[in-house]
Amino acid sequence: MEPEESMAVSDFLIKGNLLKQGAEARVYRDTFLGKSTIIKERFPKKYRHPLLDEKLTHRRTVQEVRSIQRCRKAGIPTPVVHFVDYTSHCIFLEDIVDSVTVRDHIVSTQQRPHPGPTLEHLAPLAAKVGQIIAKMHDEDVVHGDLTTSNMLLRTSGYVVGDAAELSLVLIDFGLSYISALPEDKGVDLYVLEKAFLSTHPNTEALFQKLLKSYAASSKKSSAVIKKLDEVRLRGRKRSMVG
Amino acid sequence: MHTSHQLELYPKQTVTQLLFKGVKNSAELRKSAMEGKINAALINPKMIVDSFQVLVAANKAVHLQSIGKMKTRGLYSEIIFNLSPANNISEAFKRFGISDSDDSVLVVLVATDDESQVLADITEKVDGQQVPVAELPTLTDVMQIRKLYKVTPQEEKIGSLLDSVVCRMATKDVV
Repeated sequence: MEPEESMAVSDFLIKGNLLKQGAEARVYRDTFLGKSTIIKERFPKKYRHPLLDEKLTHRRTVQEVRSIQRCRKAGIPTPVVHFVDYTSHCIFLEDIVDSVTVRDHIVSTQQRPHPGPTLEHLAPLAAKVGQIIAKMHDEDVVHGDLTTSNMLLRTSGYVVGDAAELSLVLIDFGLSYISALPEDKGVDLYVLEKAFLSTHPNTEALFQKLLKSYAASSKKSSAVIKKLDEVRLRGRKRSMVG
Repeated sequence: MHTSHQLELYPKQTVTQLLFKGVKNSAELRKSAMEGKINAALINPKMIVDSFQVLVAANKAVHLQSIGKMKTRGLYSEIIFNLSPANNISEAFKRFGISDSDDSVLVVLVATDDESQVLADITEKVDGQQVPVAELPTLTDVMQIRKLYKVTPQEEKIGSLLDSVVCRMATKDVV
């Protein structure tokens, strides 16, 4: 009975266009209900006990869908959910066409020769990122995997150096959860800091800009920034000794 | 006049939509549908932003039927139920199904094979004028939809009303 349940979707995915494969899921692009759609499939992990695997996978799928909807309600741009199949653990999401990852955008901006320092060109973007994360944290959504690859920048209507024109979309809420704790939000920022500075060398000033914007946009930022300083000293995981 | 869409996940199933205006026999249609004499979902077009919204509901209904997890008794009632942001079945029928006083109706069919006969049957039963499905937006009651789906103003800044509606429909069973 079980394998037959998800036949329709897996038959469909076989023909689909595999974009990326990670440890947790595969991402496809295909036409669904007449629109270009991104499909995220959480495949079974054979190394886990089947029961545990099913539970974890199901919970993560539900969590991702919930966080997306919570963000959208609060006006934080995330892809629209079109359909969820809880038997094959697939989420069908809006394809954000004409977009680049913030990662690619920063890399290409750094490579281009500029009259002034690169930082100036990217400062509005950093400010925007800080502002959106602040908004998300104010809704008590902790992303769990903040990297510059998990942020998309719409390229249509994009004007360099004008923050008002920047349209940013947050993606991949697979590790997200709801929490009001400054600790969790601090770790969220810490993860981003680590990812940001290792993906984009010599951008310390740019990241400071991002944090400044975060602090200015969020109502509860002071406790989070204080936690971030603590987390920097000890690392992402809390010491469980004693 | 009508639009048809073959479901990508269930290629044997095609969703067809027909829109009628100036309908005079809504009460009769509703009664026949409830008695099972009309094999179609009769939807109040005022609550529909775009035909894509109906496709999302129909796809979900066919999917739930195939895995035996429908919440209502039939495929067509399930389509109407899926349109609703809430989990109350009778409320969904009241808002999204047709009422006796309605003068327009959106007919939704899910067919496995040749549907021309079914289409002809339906068209015959509706006492009204068939118009292109593309005219749906002219009938949409935007205020009513915003209210019923509880669409927030900040949400409409990041996407269309259709986006907000579809996302709620797709996520309602876990939110």
